[in-house]
Amino acid sequence: MLLKKYKSVNSTSTIAKKMDYEPWTVIWAEEQTLGRGQKSNGWFSPKGGLYFSIVLPKSTIEDLQTLTILASFVTAKIIKENFKIEPFIKLPNDIFINQKKVGGILTENIIGQDVKFSIMGIGLDTNIEKFPKELENIATSLKIETGKQVDNEKILKQIVQEIKNQLKIISE
Amino acid sequence: MKLNINIKGKKKIIEINEEEGKVKIKIGKKEFSFKNNNYKKEGISVARTNIPKNKFSKKEIKAPIAGTITKIFVKEQQAFKKNQKIVSLSAMKMENEIVSDFQGTVKSILVKEGQKVKEGEILVILK
Repeated sequence: MLLKKYKSVNSTSTIAKKMDYEPWTVIWAEEQTLGRGQKSNGWFSPKGGLYFSIVLPKSTIEDLQTLTILASFVTAKIIKENFKIEPFIKLPNDIFINQKKVGGILTENIIGQDVKFSIMGIGLDTNIEKFPKELENIATSLKIETGKQVDNEKILKQIVQEIKNQLKIISE
Repeated sequence: MKLNINIKGKKKIIEINEEEGKVKIKIGKKEFSFKNNNYKKEGISVARTNIPKNKFSKKEIKAPIAGTITKIFVKEQQAFKKNQKIVSLSAMKMENEIVSDFQGTVKSILVKEGQKVKEGEILVILK
């Protein structure tokens, strides 16, 4: 895994899309100024959260739908293993804790004649201590839920490695 | 099947019967027999199981999967370069940026932002 870390970017997926990176390159930023969710919705991305995008290996759209679900499953699994809490997966791409959103996955495909490449963006509210008023009833963070500081790099590496492992298992 | 028809002012009864591999046509007392080329012994019509894949033709951009148009990046009559973003389609919670594979001009845009489209539907015609 080639990990590229930035202090602040508009969106890690935008950076990943612009460069011709090798599969499994990971773009990680401490904050995003234009974090994206689905259908042009924003993703609140202040310092403290974990925001990264994975350059995926070439695949078909059907595989990519599976990959999004796989990434949700893996993210929930890593949360459960590290923090002993039970996350809820709202299929195919959102993770909730106590009915509040804690993480989301946005897969973006660049398609010409076929799928040229795909980027999987993962946003996880780890060490965010306070959300703006409009989000406080619908969003939460691992720190708010567990009271513990999260090691973002450790969680990132575990998620990427587990996606790779699971992908290997389901492709066999 | 029986048909009543007029031939040169005279009423005729035409009887058409299909039997195994043959079509028999009876006009009055005369009988004609033809081989039925479409006859299949088991009588099962063959369904098309292989739907052709929606490949992009050079002249049109089609929806690779069913979804909602989130953004149209070009205007009609606009020139575009190779690999330029044309439309963005949201489907199965994924964002799909459809880019041009060659340079050209946008002839017409057949969809609007927010519109739901089916797989294979033509979105933009190029020239």
